[in-house]
Amino acid sequence: MNQTIVALAINGIVFGLIIALIALGLSIIFGLLDIINLSHGDFFMVGTVLTYTTLTSLGYFWPALIIAPLIGFVLGVLIQFSIIQRIKNNAALSIVATFGLSMIIQEVVRMTFGAAPKRIMPPIQGTFGLFGVAYEWYRIFAAFASIVAIGSFFLFLKKTKLGVWMRAVRHDRDTATTMGIPTQQVYLFTFGIGFAMAAIGGVIAAPITTVDFRTGVDILPVCFMAVIIGGLGNLPGTVAAAVLLSFLEGVISGFATPTIARIFSLVLMSGVLLIRPQGLFKGLTK
Amino acid sequence: MKAFSGFAVLFVVLLFAPWLITLVGDAFWLSILTEIVIWSCFAASINFLFGYVGLLSFGQALYFGFGMYGVALGISELHLSFWPAFFLGPLSATLIAFLTGLLAVRLTWHYFAIITVVFSLITYFLALTFKSLTGGDDGINFTLPDILNFMGYKLSLADTTTQYFFMLIVVALCFWLIKIIMGSALGRSLIAIRDNDVRASLIGINVYRLRLAAFVIAGFLAGVSGTLFALFGRYASASYMFYHVSGEGVVWAIVGGVGTLLGPAIGTGIFILIREVVSSHWQHYALIVGAFAICIVIFAPEGIVGLWKKYSRRGRV
Repeated sequence: MNQTIVALAINGIVFGLIIALIALGLSIIFGLLDIINLSHGDFFMVGTVLTYTTLTSLGYFWPALIIAPLIGFVLGVLIQFSIIQRIKNNAALSIVATFGLSMIIQEVVRMTFGAAPKRIMPPIQGTFGLFGVAYEWYRIFAAFASIVAIGSFFLFLKKTKLGVWMRAVRHDRDTATTMGIPTQQVYLFTFGIGFAMAAIGGVIAAPITTVDFRTGVDILPVCFMAVIIGGLGNLPGTVAAAVLLSFLEGVISGFATPTIARIFSLVLMSGVLLIRPQGLFKGLTK
Repeated sequence: MKAFSGFAVLFVVLLFAPWLITLVGDAFWLSILTEIVIWSCFAASINFLFGYVGLLSFGQALYFGFGMYGVALGISELHLSFWPAFFLGPLSATLIAFLTGLLAVRLTWHYFAIITVVFSLITYFLALTFKSLTGGDDGINFTLPDILNFMGYKLSLADTTTQYFFMLIVVALCFWLIKIIMGSALGRSLIAIRDNDVRASLIGINVYRLRLAAFVIAGFLAGVSGTLFALFGRYASASYMFYHVSGEGVVWAIVGGVGTLLGPAIGTGIFILIREVVSSHWQHYALIVGAFAICIVIFAPEGIVGLWKKYSRRGRV
């Protein structure tokens, strides 16, 4: 029993890192564009589907790590350009638009890819002993890949001109515009990056979960929980919250059903929303 | 005057619908119309919060689900007759709306939208956990008691025309209730809060209490539609508590025209008709629904009623 809990807890951390990657994409879209993106889970799902397609057409898993985020970025820019940008100053309407978008993405995948869930074999085979449990090497790789992706994103935000622009626009859009930052292009780029990050998360998670046009619906609430519990706009907080939540859900599902573990996180999230809407970690980092 | 004649036409059409439908097509369309009537009340619940108070709820499915389970469990577990079970549905929805509203209306805007989703997800997962009682996603079935069984005179929803008129009367009463509320001092205070909550509180309106009142009323409306839908399908299922149901309701209300009395009903009607007409020929009707929602949001942000008002005004000038 104890051994299983250790495995479940480590599973939780691995999955939490993937969730953190996706939730970061959600958080920057939320923070910069001020919209609740209900199609973000489907961006993740598109990543898993692109992985499956890459694997079946090219025969290799690895190219998906480049192909999926690239396609995701282009799709994200197109969505921002053709839909989100045209909705003026109304957060409620943009929620409806992303809900419609979510329906379209799911339906297009169902049309082209099929409704039957599919599985992918991990590209890294083999297991190792972990406190008496055979643990997959691929999951360890998944954790490291997520950490690398998250790390590069933070480096990008801190070190590049575009990253500084993104932070500036999030901080104060009007001042940023006056200083000559091309706000509209930053928005396009932000939505693209958000989609791309969810897509990378999809590639990394594809061999662990199933490839199915509905997975986005399950992943979306988890990402929102991470964003809210971490604190809106607090990116390191989002990462910490994602890992913490998945870890706790992993541990709890050792004692109870995963559904009860999920209820626990949701109750925790309502508590944070009501008592500390600025997030759990505000004041700890700075 | 013009608006009144529009109402009158709608009233006459709805009143004679069971016979009009058999004249032009299959009787199956009467059950579609019944479904539209029921879901209109759900869209009206979302519109009541968003259109009149400015709170966007993505969790009205929770109260819809309580309405469903109130009547279903009332009949199957408590062995109630028709009317007590019928009132148990909206009553339990209203009660749970009050309890969740105490917490939810402390938040506004994004935070409010998210906490309503969270509450509905919690109850959805609870319903899955207590599968022996709720039946989970598969749901529970029940047999319909008669509405009235008096000295050999029987009235039952098993008759589709009776069923249609029963639903129509209940929903019409709900819309009438909304109209009365919005014409009262309460309604004007709610509009004041929607337009500017700081100013409203400065002129002495208790913003928290009135938002709570609106939340409870909206929960009641969603509960009524859930109750009716359970009676219509003779079953209740946890899947109707999922946030996708709420999301569809939001789309219907906004596409129809938020902040208007009939907008939500029009939006509901259009989307259910699209679903029924298209899905029999082409299974990917969700594409059309999604694209239609996006187009309305971009090109007619005031919804269909707003569009119609704009063009009828332009036509007069």
